[in-house]
Amino acid sequence: MTAGLTLAGVSRNFGGLRAVSDMSFETARGEIFGVIGPNGAGKTTLFNVIAGVHPASDGRISFYGKEITGSRSDRVSRLGIARTFQATNVFKEESVSENLRRGALFGEIHSPLAFLRRCFAGRAPAATRPDIDEIAAFIGLADQMGKPAGSLAYGLQKILGVGMALMQRPRLMLMDEPAAGLNPTEKTVMAALIARLRDERGIDVLVVEHDMKLIMSICDRILVVRQGCRIALGTPEAIQADQAVIEAYLGADYEFA
Amino acid sequence: MKTLAWAIAALVLATVPLIFGDRYILHIGTMVGIMTTVALSLHLMMRIGQLSFAQVAFMGIGAYASALLTMRLGFPTALSFLCAGLLAALLALLIGPLFLRIKGVYFVLLTFAFSQIVNLVFQDWTSLFGGNNGLFGIPKMALFGYRLTAASHYYCLAAVLAAVTYLTVRAIRRSDIGTVLSALDENEALGRSLGLDALSWRVGIFTVTAFFAGLAGSVYAHYLGFLSPPAFSFWTSVDAIVMNVIGGMATPLGPVIGAILLVPLPELLRDAKQFQLLAYAAILIVFLLFFRDGIVGYLAKRQRATS
Repeated sequence: MTAGLTLAGVSRNFGGLRAVSDMSFETARGEIFGVIGPNGAGKTTLFNVIAGVHPASDGRISFYGKEITGSRSDRVSRLGIARTFQATNVFKEESVSENLRRGALFGEIHSPLAFLRRCFAGRAPAATRPDIDEIAAFIGLADQMGKPAGSLAYGLQKILGVGMALMQRPRLMLMDEPAAGLNPTEKTVMAALIARLRDERGIDVLVVEHDMKLIMSICDRILVVRQGCRIALGTPEAIQADQAVIEAYLGADYEFA
Repeated sequence: MKTLAWAIAALVLATVPLIFGDRYILHIGTMVGIMTTVALSLHLMMRIGQLSFAQVAFMGIGAYASALLTMRLGFPTALSFLCAGLLAALLALLIGPLFLRIKGVYFVLLTFAFSQIVNLVFQDWTSLFGGNNGLFGIPKMALFGYRLTAASHYYCLAAVLAAVTYLTVRAIRRSDIGTVLSALDENEALGRSLGLDALSWRVGIFTVTAFFAGLAGSVYAHYLGFLSPPAFSFWTSVDAIVMNVIGGMATPLGPVIGAILLVPLPELLRDAKQFQLLAYAAILIVFLLFFRDGIVGYLAKRQRATS
């Protein structure tokens, strides 16, 4: 097993509150890795610490052997870790195809110096028309390219968010509650899309999610978090059978659907 | 084709003061050129959502730098002109990483404080800057061995500077940089998640805008031959902001129109000096209430409605 994302003793404090506490785990290459936990368990904080939105207060994070502890979100993104957002997050006024183009463009001209380098090197832009069309076809938005992103249905905007993240050609995709706010049909589409990220494009996925059915159906392994601490880690079957998880998180009487 | 027609129209319009040749009109024309450059420099900052009082400070730094480099160190004025822009840009590059971490009203206050400090230095370091008595005897500019003495020369210089600034700002906004800038304004968190180093872009833009403001200051210094701190005060910043508001911020043409309309205003109202500020305020209120997108925005809306 090749370790992809590796967390070693990662903590994050907000004032006196310890939102994430001594968290350690490794994701494997080609793995869909789920993170679950009750509200306020620290899932989103954990997600933001990995994505570089908040720096870790303690501990180390590395990605395929490269240290990323303390890196800001834009650098994390350029190292091959893309992310999607819990709520829809697209450039609403711009067309779908422009949104996709920006997905590749911003990593390429991330700073004025990078822009100048691109000018003088005379390189072709990272996001060519065929790339954009290819990703649009992959996410199923090929027939919506000219529409303003803000005019798409909520579910499609979330799908577009996945497409923009894909345009960065990531090795790992962090997904913050991809199914939140989606109707059952859209959830099925999203679950299939997540599986295809790995199966067809070889991207590792770390997904934070509330929807048990979705998480249990697509994940290879699941991390259970409670009060900032890891309480279990294992396959969906193992997690569903774990008495500590059932009691601590789902209530003693809960049965998995 | 349309661009060509516009360019010719602008050129014809720009030659009108030269044809009249009236010194007074040429003076207003020169000031329009200088203030257009400053307003355009502010325009780019406003496009990234940062209302900056520092632009006028950069203009002042460029003005005093150009004057003193020529007077004290004997620099050729063409070199002083270039150094005025570069010094302002260098200062922006140094303070930018600190200033541009801050946004919104705090950034406004910070740049306001900065411009006040710069102005106080001009006022109180009398041995260097001449204080409130002003700095006299700034030599006329010489470009390529040709001395610029007549008012018409400075009018042409200011018009060329304004045109170059306008074209640069327009090119920036139409390039991928423009995409970056609008993304920073619209949704910074998303831009960052896609890899944008937001701070470095803000510093980059701040530096470019300071360069042009510095150049405008240099033209101002050598044109008037005299500098005093009030020229770079709070009120000049307010002028630049109002130019952007009245002209509109949707395109770089907005601040140009704003400057053309606003700079002559004090002159037109000269006979009714007591009503000058009142008229100014009334115009501003009308625009803020009824033409929030400025003249450019209003015209664009009308065009959309008819087509």
